[in-house]
Order: sequence, then structure tokens, then C-alpha cells
Amino acid sequence: MNPIDDDTLQAYVDGALDATEAARVDAALARDEVLASRVRRMRALNAQLRAAFDPVLDEPVPAHLSALLQPQGESTVPLTVHAGGRAANVSRRRVPRRWLMPGAALAASVALLAAGLWWWRAGDDMVRMRNGESYAAGVLDHALNHALASEPDARAPVAIGLSFRTAEGNICRSFTIRTPPSRAGLACHTAEGWELPVLELSAPARGGELRQAASDLPPAVQVAIDARLRGEVFDARQERAARADRWR
Amino acid sequence: MHTSDAVREGLIALLPRLRRLARALAGQTADADDLVQVVLERALARSAQWRPDAALDKWVFAIARNAWRDELRARGRAQHLFVAEESGEAVADGGAALPAQQLELAQALAALPPDHREVVALVLVEGLSYDEAAALLEVPVGTVTSRLSRARATLQAHLGSDA
Repeated sequence: MNPIDDDTLQAYVDGALDATEAARVDAALARDEVLASRVRRMRALNAQLRAAFDPVLDEPVPAHLSALLQPQGESTVPLTVHAGGRAANVSRRRVPRRWLMPGAALAASVALLAAGLWWWRAGDDMVRMRNGESYAAGVLDHALNHALASEPDARAPVAIGLSFRTAEGNICRSFTIRTPPSRAGLACHTAEGWELPVLELSAPARGGELRQAASDLPPAVQVAIDARLRGEVFDARQERAARADRWR
Repeated sequence: MHTSDAVREGLIALLPRLRRLARALAGQTADADDLVQVVLERALARSAQWRPDAALDKWVFAIARNAWRDELRARGRAQHLFVAEESGEAVADGGAALPAQQLELAQALAALPPDHREVVALVLVEGLSYDEAAALLEVPVGTVTSRLSRARATLQAHLGSDA
């Protein structure tokens, strides 16, 4: 059997080995304390780096940064208008769109927060705020907890789309709110409830469609899914099992 | 919908991760957020170049890495010693809030050559696979793993026996 070289050991720690290779390293670690201690040191460094930088994810985003991304700021951003033939699009009436993000940017901007509060009130209590993050409430929360995409109900106010587990290990579900104004979003299960990293106005699902095709989702929702999705979305059996396990 | 709208909305979702990457690359909060601002402006300006079938995060991270390299070059501070010195200054005025261990880590990171630092930021902080990091940096995977291995050795040496 080949000895475990440095590259292999590093790939083991970083989760870059296939199952066979990882098992070979496991076996070597069990009988080689020197190797095992090198793995512990590498793991400790990885953990230290995560501990140092992951808290940035929870920091409020400075207002001047989130302001750059407001659609209203478009005129101040050079070159957003595509050269060559796309100018007609600019004068097209924009569908007003409001977005949610992990509360930081909202909290950072009073104006946005006011707009957001207005939106929640118009949003028939399907969203609640907690520590600057938005969470599902009421009918939406109930649907996320109980509804299955594999058992669609055409009359339900909320339709569930994809369910999947993220690289971080929590479960996210995309959904569409059918009651006007139609919205689509992504909800991710946390200890605090269903957090809503994104909620967008959407075109109403076309007649009779029970389950909105992924391609019909607003791009921001699609992007939010793509950013989190690792591996496969749940099939009917996995979805049911996840519900039985309370989406943990 | 405009590609630029999709990019803008994708950037909103990406902002926290982009700030984390920038912090790992540029160090101090103010420098990191300056970098984030440059990245957002470039990403919006170039949104027509983003293909919707490509992962937005990798595209934006590549912009971030290049913007950081540009910044190092523009300041004439591509030498890692300068970055280390700058980090030392910041320690004196604003770094007091950091726990000692993180301060040590920040200094050790700042002392890494840019080639090593960006690999640590992309793989160990941002969680990209070796393949993804190699594609982003436009180098072979073996280059990523050897830089990472050397960076790890340097960081562990800096941080002493507890890491």
C-alpha cells in the first residue's frame, strides 16, 4: 500500500478525497499517531480560519455597499445599459420589485427598512422580522412546515417548489405565494424558524400549474438556490422524511 | 429581465460572502469594504459578460481576486512585507477588538505572499473546491494544492503548536 503523502493528507482534511481514498487515510490514521496529529493540526487551522471569518457573514452590511445594489441607483452605475440595441429596455416600465436579504442591509438603511415595513404590512403577515432577519410567519410558515411538493394542493395559498439540504447542513425550500401580490422566495430552516434569504414579486403561475417550474422563478430566487444547492433536490420520499424529522 | 438585474439581485444575496472573502484577502474591515465596493461596481459594469449558466459566486469572486491584485499592484505593495506592516499599523489603532488569537491569525495571513493568501481565502475561508479555486485562479489544480500546503505550513509555524 502506498504511504499517505502530504497532498493526500491535505485533501483528506479538506474533504477533497473520494470515499475509497478517504477510507485508506482513515485506516492509516488509526495506526499512525504522527499522521493523526498532523491531521488534527490542519483541522485546527481550518477551524480557526472559519472562526475568524465566518462572523463577517452576520455583520450588518454597510449602507453605502447595499445602496450600490438598489435598482433605483441604476442611473449612477455606469454601463448598466448594454451597448447595442438594448436601450429600448431601459425605458420599459420597471415592475417594482422589493427584495429581502439576511437583514443586515435592511437594518443598515433606514429608507430600505421603511420600505420593508410597508411591504410586510401589505404582505398579510406571512413575514416576521427578528433581529433584522426576516422569517416566515402565518400561512407561509405553516405551509413550509407541512406542505409537500409531492402532494400539491391547487387551492393552497402557498405552493412548495424544491426542497434540498445545503452544504451547511440545513434544509431550504423554495415556494410561491399565490395570493396577490404573487411572490416567490426561498426559506431555509434555522433554530429560529424559516429564514427568508430572498422573497420576490413574481409573475402569477400560469393557469392550472400546480408546481411552478424552476425556470419560472424570479432570477434572484434562482440565484439564491444555486448559491446553496449542493447535490440533489429531495425526491418525494426524502421530502416526506424531512418533514417527519421536522426539517432538521 | 435584464442580465444586470439578475446580477444585481444575485450580488445582494452574495454580499455577506463577498465581504468575508474580502476580509480574508484584504485584512482590515475598511480595506476589505473598499475592495467590496470596487468589486460591486465592476460586477455591475460588466454584468453583460456574466453568462446566466455560470455560477455567479465564482464569477464575482474572480472579480474580487483580480481587484485585490490590482489594488496591491496600484499601491506598489505587492510585496507581502508591506501588507504585513500595514496590518501592524491597524493593530495599533483599530484592532483592539479582536481576540488575541484572531489577531495572531490576521497577522500570519497578512504575512503570506499573495499567491498563498488567495488560495487560503478561496479554499479554507470561502470553501471552494480545489478544482473551483484552480479554475478561478487559472492555474493547474496541482499549483493550488502546493500553494495551499505551503501556506498551511507557514500559518501553522506562525501560530505555534496550538494550531
